[in-house]
Amino acid sequence: MAVTTFENLASSDITTTRTLLHESIPLTGTIISGTYSDLNIKNYTHGQFQSVYDYPYLSSSANHIFDISIGFDESSPLSGATGNLQQDKKINMYNQFSQVLLGYTGSTNQVRKFELDLTLDNSGVMNESLFLNFSRLITKDQIKKGTVSVSLGTGSWADPFGNVKTLTDASASATGGTLNTLGGDYGLLYSTDNVARGLVFYESGVVVLSTSSFDGVTDFYSASAGTSSIAQMFVSSSITASCDALRHRVQNISFNNSTEINSTIYFCRVPHNDYNHSANPTYLSASTIRVKSVNTDTPIAYITTIGLYSSDNELLAVAKLSEPLRKDPTNELTLRVRLDY
Amino acid sequence: MAFLDNSGDIILDAVLTEAGRRRMANGDFSITKFALGDDEIDYSLYNKNHPSGSAYYDLTILQTPVFEAMTQVNAGINYGLLKNTSTDLLYLPVMKTNELSALELGNIAKSSGVFYTRDTGGNTGNGDTNNILKALLSGSIQSMGGTDSSTNFVALETGLDTGFGNIPAGTMLNRQSYLAANNLIDITLYVFVDSRFFTNVLGVNSSATNFANDGGADAHELNAEVSLVSSTATDLTIGLDNYVAYKVQTVGNQIYNYSANNTEQTYSVIGGPRGIFGAVSPVVKSGLDAEYTLYGTTNNTTLLPGATVNYIDTTIYVQGASTSAQVQIPVRIIRIA
Repeated sequence: MAVTTFENLASSDITTTRTLLHESIPLTGTIISGTYSDLNIKNYTHGQFQSVYDYPYLSSSANHIFDISIGFDESSPLSGATGNLQQDKKINMYNQFSQVLLGYTGSTNQVRKFELDLTLDNSGVMNESLFLNFSRLITKDQIKKGTVSVSLGTGSWADPFGNVKTLTDASASATGGTLNTLGGDYGLLYSTDNVARGLVFYESGVVVLSTSSFDGVTDFYSASAGTSSIAQMFVSSSITASCDALRHRVQNISFNNSTEINSTIYFCRVPHNDYNHSANPTYLSASTIRVKSVNTDTPIAYITTIGLYSSDNELLAVAKLSEPLRKDPTNELTLRVRLDY
Repeated sequence: MAFLDNSGDIILDAVLTEAGRRRMANGDFSITKFALGDDEIDYSLYNKNHPSGSAYYDLTILQTPVFEAMTQVNAGINYGLLKNTSTDLLYLPVMKTNELSALELGNIAKSSGVFYTRDTGGNTGNGDTNNILKALLSGSIQSMGGTDSSTNFVALETGLDTGFGNIPAGTMLNRQSYLAANNLIDITLYVFVDSRFFTNVLGVNSSATNFANDGGADAHELNAEVSLVSSTATDLTIGLDNYVAYKVQTVGNQIYNYSANNTEQTYSVIGGPRGIFGAVSPVVKSGLDAEYTLYGTTNNTTLLPGATVNYIDTTIYVQGASTSAQVQIPVRIIRIA
């Protein structure tokens, strides 16, 4: 039936708030490589990147969690090397990430290069990079600064986690330790020896890893020690095969995401002398109010639902109480209904 | 529609309805008022005889589990809490259909649980479908005019139905003190009909309708006449798809309890002080055809012996504007197939 009894909300009964919610996102290496025998890894015919799902991707239950790619700048010594596989695509990938995250510079509009510092002064340049770009499903509005941890196996191909290098952005926080660029704020990922080995773009949800994390690893992408360093991989392996090799060496990735919740709070004030009777058909027995024996008894009603309406009586939102709330003339209630956007 | 967890603190589960989301997309989302509901509550569980005392009277009600919020508009509030500020009310009015044949005013009674209304759009081959349908329906089945203007209607009464012979009696004095003094007289009724089948609702013309039992001097015979008139649409919503609201007028119900020659029970179905008398006669949309296939039954040969008919069953909802007293009227639209 139609509701015809309303209580108006004054402007002072409505207020707005902003809240940041954080979730912890742990991505274990076994998901990335092992648990599902790579059925959760999607490769594409274009071969420019690889997608990682949290479940075999042919299942409708699977969620896309991040992509992996690699690339180098055309000025990299690895560019133009003899026998370079997918050279153009590797350059294109590097340029695409850099032009979106850092933009262009100089009179000839050259794309900026990633740098292992917070100054963008062309020093500490990363000519070769490995990219992990996380889906919005897990980064939500942004990655929380100071919470990123990436553990990489730097041991042999056969035992990659015999040595582990953990990179963190502990120096970044909401108030400092980052640089603002076209792609949003970025911070540096340091290894425990306090050397910068990568970047994390918080709003974009992209981690850019330097190859320096794997310096000295001579069997990075195969068991052939001495002939399969990461530099050799950049030259002679496809992007897809390089992504496979990187997944083989990711032990853990974790961070906290952030979601900005904007809320409108409606203070529904229920006066003591109103809303003590009900149109509920069970309220009456032979026209007599069931909760009363004589007319001097206190009328009682029980609230379970609050409907929020437009000025033309359209129901726009509904709030339900987890248990009935007793309303009688001796009490006055303020029900605080919050709508999140 | 799960239950809300009621094991800890009281929580509020709030969602936007479909209408709220649509308005947000249109950029005209603005909440200006609220209403309160208690649809889950069964007040018959209020136990005034609980052996442990008054603190336990509503124990079962307070333990009622509450469903989580739903996004359908009609799943919001069906029965709202009322703003009546009187704290000394012991009775509230109800609404009932009056199917008493003694009225002889054109009010009809249900047949097989539904009120019939005619659609003259059927194809009989000779053109006079209304008279044929009328003839077929005459006898045990009464019907309203439907697409044909008619004086037949569903009669409605409100009042305190405490039972004939019980207190408060249906006297003029009690009508004044129990109903009128507490603003429990519905001068208008809201009638909600499915706009796919009906284009208007006829209600009483309040200036030409009378309903009293003061005829025949002290014999207290019925002194009544009913004139029907079209009603006006209103933007009130019931929350059901395709339903629209019309506002119909009422007249004071002057069937009273008299100490001698008491005829109240002959003319009224309310056993106590009476509020209003009203009428509802829905105007069937002309040109209904595919609707019988989509929403009804076609080529039925058992409903009316000797005839093949199509029919649609629907429900009309009536609600008092002041008291929120309400009644559902099951209606069957019928025509020659």
